[in-house]
Amino acid sequence: MDNNKIDVEQSLQLINTMINKAKNSFHDTGVGAMLWGSVIAICAFVKLSEIYFNYRLPFDINLLTLLAIIPQIFITLKEKKNRKARSYDDRFLDYIWLAFGIAIFLLIHVVNLTFAAWAPVSSEYKMLTGHASPFKFSEFVLPLFLILYGIPTFITGAACKFKPMFWGGIFCWLCSIITVYTNYQVDLLLTAASAIIAWFIPGLIMEKEYRQAKKEEAKNYV
Amino acid sequence: MTDSSFSPQDSLKLIQGMIDKARQDMGDNSQHFLLWGWVSFIGCVGQFVLKTILHYPQHYLVWLLTFPAAIISIVMGQRQHKQKLAVTYLGESMKHLWIGMGISYFVLSMILTRMGWGTSIFPFFMLLYGLGTFISGKFLQFKPFVWGGLMAWVLAILSTFFSYDQQMLFGAAAILISYIIPAYLIRRKNATER
Repeated sequence: MDNNKIDVEQSLQLINTMINKAKNSFHDTGVGAMLWGSVIAICAFVKLSEIYFNYRLPFDINLLTLLAIIPQIFITLKEKKNRKARSYDDRFLDYIWLAFGIAIFLLIHVVNLTFAAWAPVSSEYKMLTGHASPFKFSEFVLPLFLILYGIPTFITGAACKFKPMFWGGIFCWLCSIITVYTNYQVDLLLTAASAIIAWFIPGLIMEKEYRQAKKEEAKNYV
Repeated sequence: MTDSSFSPQDSLKLIQGMIDKARQDMGDNSQHFLLWGWVSFIGCVGQFVLKTILHYPQHYLVWLLTFPAAIISIVMGQRQHKQKLAVTYLGESMKHLWIGMGISYFVLSMILTRMGWGTSIFPFFMLLYGLGTFISGKFLQFKPFVWGGLMAWVLAILSTFFSYDQQMLFGAAAILISYIIPAYLIRRKNATER
C-alpha cells in the first residue's frame, strides 16, 4: 500500500516534469537567488569601501556568506515543504547547486592553502629585490570564484530555458576574464555586478513569476 | 488518463528508462571523456617528465596537445549529432552541464595564460574535474563518476600541501580516477547491458 502510494507520487512527478518542460517555464520562489545575489554584492561593496575610504571593519565581511547559510537552510526547507512533487528538473538542479556549494567551500580552502605557500616566497622576493613581487596572488582569487559562480547559473538557465540566468552565467565568465586584467577594486565591482546580474535580478523575476503562478493556481481552484 | 493506459509502474519504468537511456548516451559519448582524459593525463605526466627529469625549460608546451584534441572533439561531436535519432530531457541536461564545464575550462585557461602556467594551477583544474563528474554521476546514478568526482576534490585539497612539480602527478591521478576509469566502466556497463 505504502509502496503503491510512492509509485503514484512518482508518476505525478513525471507528469509534472513533462508539463513544466512543455511550458518551458521555471518556477522557483527566487528567494534563495535574491539572498545570495545581495549577500555577495554587499560583501564586495563593503570590501571596496574599506579600500576606498581606508578603514577596516573589526571582522571580515566575507563571513556574512557563512551567516547567509542559516536563512538559506530555512528557505530550502520551506520550499521543499511547499513543493508538491520533486521533478527531475529539481533533482538535476539540486545536484548542481550542491556540487557548487562543495566546490566553493573547497576553493576557499585551496586558495587559503596556496596563499599560505605563496606568502613566504613573496616576502623573500621583497627582501632580496627591495620591491614587492609583481605577481599578486590576491588579484587572481576573484576570477576563480567568478568561474564557479558562472557554472551552476549557466546550467540552470540553459536546462530550465530561463534566459536571465543563462546570460547571467555568461556574464560571470566574461567578468572572470576581465578581472584578470584589472586591479582589485575593479575586480570587486565586477564581482558585485555579477552577483546582481546572475542571481539577484533573475531571483526577482523568478519571485514575480512564482507569485503570478500561485495566483493563477488559486484562481483555478476557485 | 486511466490506470490501464499509464499505470504508476509504467511511469516508474519510464523514469528508469530515461535514466538508462541518458547513461547509455553518456557511455556512447565516452570517447569525449577518454579523449580529454588521456590528453590531460599525458599533459600532466608529460610536463612532469619534461620539467623534472629532462629539465626542459618550456615543459608547458606539452599542453599544446589540447588544440588538436579540441578539433577532434568538435568533429566527433558533429558526427554524433548527425547520427542521433532522439533527444531526451536528461541527455539535454547533461549536454548543458558539459557545455558549461567546457566553457569553465576555457575561462580558467585564459586566466592562467595571464597568471602564468608556472603557478599553482593544478588544484583549480582538479576542482573542476570533480564538479562535472560528481554532478553527472549523481544525476545518472552511476557511482564510479560520483566517487571519481569526490576523489578529485580530495586530491585537489591534498595537492596544495605539495610542490608544483608534485601537483602535476596529483592532476594525473585525479583525471585517471574521475574521467578515464569511470568512462571505461560506463562503456563496459553499456556493452554488457546490450
